[in-house]
Amino acid sequence: MSEQSKKKSVHKQARGPCRPSTSPGKGKGRPAPGAADGPLAWFDDMVTHCLGYAEARMKQGGHIVGITCEYTPRELIMAAGGIPVCLCGGNEDTITAAEEFLPSNLCPLIKSTFGYSVLKENPFLEMADIVIAETTCDGKKKMYELLAESRSMHVLELTQKPADPHALEHWVLELRELKRVLEKRFQTSITRDKLKGAIALMNRERQLRRKLAGLMKSDMPPLTGRELLNMKSIIACMPADLEQYEKALQVLPGRKLDPPASERIRVLLTGVPMPHGAERVVDLIEENGGLVVCQENCTGLKPIMDDVDAGAEDLMCALAEKYFHLPCSVMTPNVRRFDLLRRLAAEYRPECIVEVIWQACLTYDVESFSVKRLAEKELDLPYLRIDTDYSPSDSARISMRTQALFETIRARIETRKRGVPPGEPQGLERSTGQNDLCRD
Amino acid sequence: MIYAGIDAGSRTIKVVLVNGNDLSVMASGVADQGLTQTALASKLFDRVLKKVGVNRRRVRKVLATGWGRDTVAFADTTITEITCQACGVYHERGDAKTVIDIGGQDSKLLRLDTDGKVRDFVMSDRCAAGTGRFLEVVAARLNVKLADLGRLAGRAGKPSAISSMCVVFAETEIIGLLASNEKAENIVAGIQKSIASRIASMAGRTIAEPVVFTGGVALVPGMAKALEAALGHPVHVARHAQLTGALGAAILSSR
Repeated sequence: MSEQSKKKSVHKQARGPCRPSTSPGKGKGRPAPGAADGPLAWFDDMVTHCLGYAEARMKQGGHIVGITCEYTPRELIMAAGGIPVCLCGGNEDTITAAEEFLPSNLCPLIKSTFGYSVLKENPFLEMADIVIAETTCDGKKKMYELLAESRSMHVLELTQKPADPHALEHWVLELRELKRVLEKRFQTSITRDKLKGAIALMNRERQLRRKLAGLMKSDMPPLTGRELLNMKSIIACMPADLEQYEKALQVLPGRKLDPPASERIRVLLTGVPMPHGAERVVDLIEENGGLVVCQENCTGLKPIMDDVDAGAEDLMCALAEKYFHLPCSVMTPNVRRFDLLRRLAAEYRPECIVEVIWQACLTYDVESFSVKRLAEKELDLPYLRIDTDYSPSDSARISMRTQALFETIRARIETRKRGVPPGEPQGLERSTGQNDLCRD
Repeated sequence: MIYAGIDAGSRTIKVVLVNGNDLSVMASGVADQGLTQTALASKLFDRVLKKVGVNRRRVRKVLATGWGRDTVAFADTTITEITCQACGVYHERGDAKTVIDIGGQDSKLLRLDTDGKVRDFVMSDRCAAGTGRFLEVVAARLNVKLADLGRLAGRAGKPSAISSMCVVFAETEIIGLLASNEKAENIVAGIQKSIASRIASMAGRTIAEPVVFTGGVALVPGMAKALEAALGHPVHVARHAQLTGALGAAILSSR
C-alpha cells in the first residue's frame, strides 16, 4: 500500500469523532502560511494522529480506555497502563441511529456518543477495553445503562454537592474503587510512582494548554478561538502533541489575524462543551465578526484551570480534590462556575458572553438564567444564549443573532467614543415631513 | 438624495424610501415573499421607485435587512433586523423602551436604551411557535381570513386552553377542539392568548414602557389586546407596524 493510500484508509477508518472536521478559519481568520502554521496544521489531523498512537500503544500491550467526561481522572488510567480516549460524539450523522433507542428530545452529545456505539463507527470505542463514566447528568446516566448492554463499563458515582465534605469523601471512595477495577482488569498495580508520573504528565499538559489559552488575553490574540479549540486532542499527553504545544507557544506570539483582532468583538464562550465535529457555533461566531478569546466550557479552560498536587501525601485524595471541583452545571450550588466566569472575564476582557446550550441539556439550560444575570447585572456584559443541536438547519438564525449582538456592541462602543452621554439623541434628525408610509 | 431600506422577511418583502435631507418617507411598498426572492425584491423596489418617478440611479444607497437580506442582490450593505427595527421604532417614537416584533417566522423582544440603541434582545427559537405563520395555520384550519381573526376573537366567551406551542401539534389540538364542538372564536382567542403568554415569558419580569408592537402580526386585530393582558402593560401598535424594519434600514443607510 502506498503511503498516500495508507493515509487515506486511516482517514476512512477514522470516520467519526473522527470525521475530519473542517479545519478552522480556512478563508477567514487564518493568515498567510508562516512559522505558526506548523503546530496549527499539525492538529488538523488530530484524529489520525490519535488513531496511530492508540494502535501503536495497543501493540505494545497498552489498553484503550474510553472516557466520556472531564470528571474521569485520566491519571489513574494512565498509571494503569491505559490510554484514555474521549468518546464524546460530535457528529450529526450518528444521531438517527441513536434515536432508535433514545428519546429524540435529548442532548445531541449524548445521542451522538451512543449513536457511534450503535453504528460501531468510533474506532476508539471499538478498540476500548472498558469505558469509564460518571453519574453526571440524568441523560448520560441512563444512556450508560444502555451502553453497558454491549460494552464493558464502570460508572463512578459522582456526588454533586461540591461544598459538602461527605460528598468529597464519597468521591474519594469511588476513585479508590476505580483504582481496584483498573488494577484487576489490566493485571497491574498502580504504584505511587506510576501515579505520580501520570499526574506530572497531565499537569504538564494542563500548563501548556493554559498557556496557549492565555495567549488570547492579549489585545491582539495571535490565533482564533477555533484554532485554539482545534488544539484539544481526544487523547491527552501524546508526546508529539506536547511538542507541538511547546512549539506553538514559541511561534504564535506576534502572529497577525486577518481580519485583525482589533476589528473583532471579543467573546467569552460558556455553556456546554464543543466536542470534535460540533464546533459549528464557534465558527459562526468568528465568521460573523467575533473572536472567541475565552472558552469557559469543558473543551476549553474549565477542566485545566487547576493542577493535581503531585507532592501530596495521599495522591488519590489529591486527584479526588481536583476533579470533584470541576464546576459543571450538574453540581449544586455551582458557585465555582460563577467564580470562574468572574475571573475569566477579568483576565480575558470579553465584550460579551455567549452561552451555548445543547438542546435538552437540562442543567446548563436552567443554570443559564443565573449566567445571564451575572453577565448583565454584575459584569455589565451583553449576554446571548444559543440553544441548538448538531443540525446546521439553524445556522442562519445563529448568524443573525451573533451579528445583531455585535452590531449592538459596536453601537455602544461608538456612543462611548463620541462621548455622548446615554440618553442624548445621536444626531438623528427627527422626521419633519409627514410620513406617508403605506399609502399605496 | 434618496436612501432605500429593504426588509426581506420570511413571508413578505417591504421597501421604504426616505429623503436623505429630513429622513421623511417618500414611498413604501409590501409584496409577498416567494421562491424567487432576489427577483421579487427587485420588482418591488422598482415598483416603489416608480411611485416617486425616479430610477435606481437616484438612490444613493440600498440597505437590506430581514431573513432574506443576503438575497437582495442590489443592496449595498446589510444589517440585521434587530438593529433596523430598533432604529425604525425609535424614529417613529423616540421614547420607546420595549419593542415586540412578531413576524412571519419568529418573534423577538428588544429593550432599547434612551438613545434608541439596542440594550439587549431575545428571540424565539427554531420553530414557528408564536409567529405569524402560526396564526396563518390557525386561520386556514378554521376557514377564516387572517384579518378576521381579531373580530372573531372579540366574540369569544372563554378562550380555549391551547397548551401546545408547536404549530403542527397545535393544529392537531385545534382539530380536537373542533371535534368537541368548541366555538371557533374561543379557539382563536386561545391561540392569541398562548402566543401572548409566550412573548411574556420571553420578556421576563422587567418591561419598560412604552411597549411598541411591530411586525405583520401587529396588524392582526386582537393581538395587541392579548399582549396587553399577558404583559400587564399597555401595548402600542406601531403606526406602520409592518414597515418599521425597512424604515430603520433606510435611515441606517443614510448614515
